[in-house]
Amino acid sequence: VVAARRQIRWGRVAGKIVTHFLLMVLSFFALAPLLWAISTAFKPDSEITTSLSFLPKQPTLSHFNTVIAQTPFLRWFTNSLLVAVATTVLAIVVGSLAGYAMSRWRFWGRNVYGNTLLVVQMFPGVMLGIPMFLLLTKYGLIDTLWALLVTYLTFALAFSVWMLKGYFDNISREIEEAALIDGASRLAILWRITLPLAAPGIVTVAVFAFLLAWNEFFFAYVFLANNTHYTLSLGMYSFIQQYTTQWGNIMAAGTLTTLPVLVFFFLLQRALTRGLVAGATKG
Amino acid sequence: MRKNGLAYWLILPSILFLLAIEFYPLGVGLVEAMYYHNRVQPFLTHFNGIENFVKAFNDFNVRLALRTSAIMVVGIVGFSYLLGLIAGVLLNQNMRLRGVYRALILIPWVVPPVVSFISWQWMLNDQSGIINHTLAQLGLIKAPILWLAKPNLAMVSLIIVGTWSRFPFMMITVLAALSAIPDELYEAGAIDGGTSFSLFRHITFPLILPVSIISTLLQAIWTFNDFGLPFVLTGGGPANATTPLILLAYREAFQRFNIGYGTSLAVIAMVFMLGLGAIYMRLQSRQGIYEL
Repeated sequence: VVAARRQIRWGRVAGKIVTHFLLMVLSFFALAPLLWAISTAFKPDSEITTSLSFLPKQPTLSHFNTVIAQTPFLRWFTNSLLVAVATTVLAIVVGSLAGYAMSRWRFWGRNVYGNTLLVVQMFPGVMLGIPMFLLLTKYGLIDTLWALLVTYLTFALAFSVWMLKGYFDNISREIEEAALIDGASRLAILWRITLPLAAPGIVTVAVFAFLLAWNEFFFAYVFLANNTHYTLSLGMYSFIQQYTTQWGNIMAAGTLTTLPVLVFFFLLQRALTRGLVAGATKG
Repeated sequence: MRKNGLAYWLILPSILFLLAIEFYPLGVGLVEAMYYHNRVQPFLTHFNGIENFVKAFNDFNVRLALRTSAIMVVGIVGFSYLLGLIAGVLLNQNMRLRGVYRALILIPWVVPPVVSFISWQWMLNDQSGIINHTLAQLGLIKAPILWLAKPNLAMVSLIIVGTWSRFPFMMITVLAALSAIPDELYEAGAIDGGTSFSLFRHITFPLILPVSIISTLLQAIWTFNDFGLPFVLTGGGPANATTPLILLAYREAFQRFNIGYGTSLAVIAMVFMLGLGAIYMRLQSRQGIYEL
């Protein structure tokens, strides 16, 4: 009996070792491109193409200096920030209005509306991109950040409406009904009572909308022409066209582009994971 | 109607955006696909019915692109599901560092895709990339491997990087599905003397299968629509070997200025996606995940 128990215990320890080993391999795979980008960004040019080591022997900030002082990087950073923040705010406003309607009223056309939000997510980008290019050119809105903003906002809607509807569903109507009897208007109730209670959902929607706008590439590439209007993704792409072999500068820019979303990610990891789970099952 | 009046006002802003940004361009695109329209010769623009589509079905590049799309979707979705399943099952145990592993594995999902594709391009660089360097150092290769310059290898690289970018999402879906399985099922299975593999095969897998199918479909749609991956990583090359339909449609419209023909290719892509989308919506509603 003792021998058998010992065997089981050894089996468990071995299982744990294998589990940790496999998870470390997967984590390394997931992390490698980012780590290598950061490592390259801090290496002097002489080390970049020859050194295999992750830590630079003579770390330098010169690539960061070059990127900030000699390229429109800060301009792009500002553009990305403007578009991402505006997308986030509008996605919350428009999404919570519609999510509230979906949650509290059984209006005619509700199913069609809800499903339409999901179906438009499956439209290929080029199917919209080509005609939008023609339309924006026609209306003189091509090469503006406004065009990007409304596009990103629309793409964020499916997630934000469905997500917030889910949160509103879980908030009891009794408080609202009491406030209604006291003579408060529906919108005042949404603003003062329901929205504060749905705060975790709003955080999740905010993170998603921000990431979507910050990371998007295709529409920025189709819409924007003048390099002072670029967002960061587009700026990064123009770097590899321009500085094909200057990996230090390219990776310094990449590191700076990733930094804000990475900080965001670690601060809000829980909300994000919850949102991802919901996103995974709710489109 | 009067009772619901406010509801319509509340959804109105989102409907306006949907109409302006999704349906208006969609309509314009459907019309455009039936025109001969080249931006270099605008005076030649004329309605030509289904001619663009007839041309597309006889276009060798379109067939090649469809094949490329299919290989990309099957390869990337298949491998990312496999890795996601392994990671999800491993992380579903009560263990130390669970949260740390989960956070690290989610990183590919937050890093801006353009940045990560460029970083992969740098790692796969044949002359000075870390991957060839390491392989040479270990004595595994004598000459550098041309990861991005040989057609078949470029496809392999595309699938590796695509898998990298998509497996975190798969892990999260698998984890979500696993956490919904009650522990009692496993206890009952263990009492009946099941080994851990047979528990997985007969209890775990059948229970996570529905969610797996749905998330796999969703990933197939997103992978098919992914423009950034082939465009940034390989540029569609060498010699069109990694140009999926989406990228071909873009090229026709914006690099060769064949707006009409390019749009017709986008319409073909759209039809494929709506087919997958219809299956997705059906399964989704049967699952009852969207509670209306």
